[in-house]
Order: sequence, then C-alpha cells, then structure tokens
Amino acid sequence: MMNRLQVAALLTKLVRSMRHHGSWCGETHVQKAAYVAQQLAGVPLGFEFILYKHGPFSFDLRDELTSLRADGLLQLEPQPFPYGPKFKMTETARRLQQRFPKTVTRYENALGFVASKLANKQVDDLERLATALYAKSEFTDKDDQQRAAWINQKKPHVTIDEALAALAEVDELKEEFASVIV
Amino acid sequence: MPKHLHEIRDPIHVFVRLDTDERSVVDSAPFQRLRHIHQLATTFLIYPGATHKRFEHCLGVMELAGRVFDVVTHPYNIHEDIRRVIPQITDPKQLGYWRSCLRMAALCHDIGHLPFSHAAEKELLPEEWDHERLSRELILSPEMRNLFNAMTPPLRAEDVVKLAVGPEEANDLSFSTWETILAEIIVGDAFGVDRMDYLLRDSHHAGVPYGRFDHHRLIDTLRILPSPPAQGDSLSQGDPVAQESGAPTIGVQGNVPQDAPAQTSSTAVAANQSGVAPPPVVNPAQHSHPSYIQYPREPALGIEEGGLHSAAALMVARFFMYSQLYFHPIRRAYDIHLKDFLKDWLSGGQFPTDANRHLEVTDNEVTSALLHASRTPAAPGHDAARRLMCRDHFRLLYQRHPEDVAINPEAGEAIFSAACEEFGEERVRRDRYSQRSGAPDFPVLTKDGRIASSLAMSQTLTQLEAVSIDFVFVDKAILNKAQDWLRENRLAIITPTEGPDDE
Repeated sequence: MMNRLQVAALLTKLVRSMRHHGSWCGETHVQKAAYVAQQLAGVPLGFEFILYKHGPFSFDLRDELTSLRADGLLQLEPQPFPYGPKFKMTETARRLQQRFPKTVTRYENALGFVASKLANKQVDDLERLATALYAKSEFTDKDDQQRAAWINQKKPHVTIDEALAALAEVDELKEEFASVIV
Repeated sequence: MPKHLHEIRDPIHVFVRLDTDERSVVDSAPFQRLRHIHQLATTFLIYPGATHKRFEHCLGVMELAGRVFDVVTHPYNIHEDIRRVIPQITDPKQLGYWRSCLRMAALCHDIGHLPFSHAAEKELLPEEWDHERLSRELILSPEMRNLFNAMTPPLRAEDVVKLAVGPEEANDLSFSTWETILAEIIVGDAFGVDRMDYLLRDSHHAGVPYGRFDHHRLIDTLRILPSPPAQGDSLSQGDPVAQESGAPTIGVQGNVPQDAPAQTSSTAVAANQSGVAPPPVVNPAQHSHPSYIQYPREPALGIEEGGLHSAAALMVARFFMYSQLYFHPIRRAYDIHLKDFLKDWLSGGQFPTDANRHLEVTDNEVTSALLHASRTPAAPGHDAARRLMCRDHFRLLYQRHPEDVAINPEAGEAIFSAACEEFGEERVRRDRYSQRSGAPDFPVLTKDGRIASSLAMSQTLTQLEAVSIDFVFVDKAILNKAQDWLRENRLAIITPTEGPDDE
C-alpha cells in the first residue's frame, strides 16, 4: 500500500499529464481520470468512489485535492467568466515526484494512457464513460444491455444508446490498455 | 385543544417554530440527551462562554432548513432547467412531505453525537463507526419510527436518514437527484444549514465575532441551479450565437425580465477588460423554451448573483472560525487529554455502539468521572484527567508553517517522529487535520440569466486558503528543552532524505 506522499506524487503527475494532453483539468476531470486510472489502469490510488456528481465521485479524493492545495502541491487557476478553475501542478510537486522515482516510473505509462484518452473529453463524455466503467465494475454478473438500463435509470439524461456506446468504449479502452501497457 | 404550533426563543434565530409532530421528537429521550452534549467539547475551558449544547444547535438547523426549503421551492425561484430535472419541485403534495422530512432530518442530524461532540470520536468507536452512523441507527430505532409513523403525513425513517446524513456518509444508499439536493441543504459543502447555524451560534457564544455573516440575505438568494459550465461543454442545439462562438448557453432562466441588463457582473466586465473574450450574452426572452440545451447539467445548490458577497462572507467566516476557534491549539491539546482519559475510563477503551447504552452516556457522566479521576491517583485515567482539570495541558512545540511544507509536505510528521525518539512517546503528541471539502465552486445565476462558476465571479473565493493544521505538543515539563532542540534541528529534521520508495 502506498503512503500519502506517493499517492500525492501520482495524483500531481496525473494532473500534469492531463494538462499536457490538453485537458481543462477542473475537479470533475481529475475525479473521473483518477477513477479510470484506478479502476481500469490499476493505479493503486486507494480512493473509494460512489455514484454521485457526474458519475463516480470520491469524497476522499475531493478532500485530498484540497490537502494537496494546502500543501502547495496543486494550485487552482481561476478562469475567465463563466468557467470553473483548472488544477495545476506546482514546482513543489515536481520535487515530490523526484523523491519517488520507482513509484512514478512504475505508473507513469498508465497515467499517461488515461490522460491521453480522457484529456479531450467534455464533462458529459467523461460522465458517460466513467459511469459505464462503474457499471462494468459493480455489475459483473449483468450484460451490457442491463448495465445500460441501469445507467439510464441513474442518469436519465444518458440515453440507453449513449450508455451502450460508452460501455463499448470501456471495452475498447481495456483492450487497448492491455495491449499498450505491459 | 392542544396547541399545534410552538415557539422556542433562540439567541440566533429569535424564535424557532415547530409543530406538535416535531415537538414529539424534541421531547423524546434521544433528543433530550443533546441538552447534555457540549456543542464545542472542551472549548469552554478556553472561551468560557462556549457552553452551549447540541440541543439548541439542532433546533436552529431545523429552523434554517425550513427557511431554505421555502426559498428554493418558491415558484418564482425555480429555474426552468430544474423544473424539468426535478419534477417533485412543482408538486404541492410531494413538497409538503419533503418539507416535513427535511426539517425532521435537520432536527435529528446530530442525535448520534458522543459525549463532548467531535473531541473524542475517531479513536473511541469501533472501525466503520462515527456519529453519523450512530445518528442513523437512532433514527431507524423503533422509538423514532413510532414517532415518525404517528405524524401527518407519516415520515419514512429511511428518507429522514438520507437527508440527515447525506451521500458522503450514507454511501451504501442510493440517492435521487432531489434527495441529493435536500441532503445538501443540511450537510452540503457550500451552503449546508448545519454549518450556517454552527458558525453563527459558536461565534455568538464564544464571543468570537469572525463567524458572523449575513445569513438572511444568503438564504434569500439560494437557488437550485444547473452546475456551472466547464470549458468544452456541449454546444447548445439551435443557438446560432453560441455555436458560432463556441460558448455554452447553459442555464438561461425563463423568468428573467426582458429588460434585464446585458451584463452586470463586475467580474465579467473585468474579464472583458483583461482581453479575454467572454461568451456572448444571450437574451433570455429569446430562449424561454429550454429545449436548446443539449442536456441538463446536474443540479446543485447555488446562489443568485446578489447573494455572492454573503456567500463569500460565509466562506471567510468558516476559514476564520476554523483557524481561530475550532483549531485553537490549547483546545486541541485538551481534546488529546480527553481522549487519553476516555481510553482508560471506558470499558474496553471504546464507547458502546448499542443505541440504549449510547443514550446513557452524556458529558455529565464524563465530567463527573473526570473530576473524580483528577482527585484520585489510583483511578483509571488519573493523569489525563488531572491535566484537563488542573490546566496542566501539553504545550505547543511546533505548528505547520508554509516554508516547512514547501520543503516537506509531511514536516509535522517528521518533527513528531523525531521528538518521540528524542523525548519518549509519552511526552509528545500530534494533532493533524485538513479541511474536508472542495474549493467553494458553486453555480451563480447572474442578473442576465446565465450560470457561472462562483470562482469565476469572486476573487475572495479564489484566494481563500484551505484550512490545514499540524500541531506537535509536548509535556510542559520538557517544553524549554524541546524548544531548544527544535531550534537547532528543525531544518535537518524536515529535509527529506532518501527513503523507501516501495508500495
């Protein structure tokens, strides 16, 4: 199990990677990317997610992002009206990552993969994809049609067809991740 | 004929009004127990006025919850998008039920509190237990269920639990959008009335004015709104202006007057002056039908632009109350001694989780035992009790400093470990806490009917620090020696060395 600073090194790395790939990197983006990194790419961040705001959401992660700001490892960059802020990694975070070379090296490809796949997605796309992954993980005994119905029930603004497409995208991502990341 | 409405005088809200159904819960044993639980634990040892109890706080939370409910469900205040996403909000029958349920949840939200509130909660309950779970057990108990069933309309205990505890603590339950919003009214991160009441009440009783803010204005301007947009959100369908510019047109309110000013936000004006092109102004009158919005964004508790300063004042009040009152270092040292005492005094070192046994223990029993133990050297917990009762508390050796954190985010841990090694674990204690919430990012309804992030509209909110404390305390007897030691070794201790980098 990783300690808090190792997790901090990976989270800040994820933020850096998301920004590098062009993500807006608001809190929703970080929440969903962390979920996909943990659930699909096997990065052991250790957060507990429930279905809440825009899909899978972790209150622990929300609190930890605040702690990372308090520790000077992340900054919130205000944006012009009417948008919410972006997260930005700091120089202190870069130094922290250097303290954990093995941890960072071990997971940087996985984080990079997640960032490259999610960075350019809009919030509604992220919600659909992350919720589909959540449904796959929670209901291993159900088929995609049943999972899509469940998604539509929980998130009525996601149609059955959109949910099915998101579930298929999860399968593609899993396959691609398995083939790319050794 | 029994009186149906009752009033209780209150120093914060003038009157708390309740009906006979609610009074039956106030008169119940689980609720009456809160008369004997200090709201601020041992804080009265530092701020002598802070002797108020959970009882009046819960009454205050109920009063505010009712006020907020009435504001956000008033037909004039319901946003067009929300009307579609939350159908309950326009159904008078459902509104009546949920108003009663919300007020009841607000009343009961703290009935599971342990003696001395939060002071001794974490280490003194079995794993997976906290006061929220105890509250949940009590709300679902046969005694409370009977009271809820006898009400008009009868309330489902399960609904009361959801609203009282919220999705964060009741993560095994499924919440509808409406239930999520109602829970947010009580325990929400930004505008929860639990927080509003405790800031105002604690400020009043402790004599610390930092906790005050204009809660009347704040509540009057609260609204249920679509979440603020993020860049890259879907473009509107059928809105050529937005499609050309790439700007979202989310959240145009149908009831905004046609002569509403095109743009009145001073921040928005500032954004224009800074050379950043804002999204175009959409005339709400041209878009009274909401179908041009591609999909509804998740609702959240937000505010009209006119209440933004009150909202900022709430957040600032919270910051100062945490840094000046709740995290006063001596209060935190007392909490540590109280925990040490309770570990020795309680059977098995933990509080019972059985509902009946839980109800038997209040601050009164603990205070009596503390006094006895402080005078009786052979009594369990004597040393900790003596420290509390005779003001021989541990003293602050080190507190978190931004310069140290820049060198090592775990500087407090490094100093604590080194001090334990140097002086012995028995003479050193650590207390660490970080704010448990996100940035104050909530939707704001501008005067021209758009939805914006609060952090795009208020520099005060953007600049607000996250609260984080890290204290290292030592026995008063070694304070001078420890201070000398720290002065000589601080930098060497906190500078990170090559350590293990394994999972």
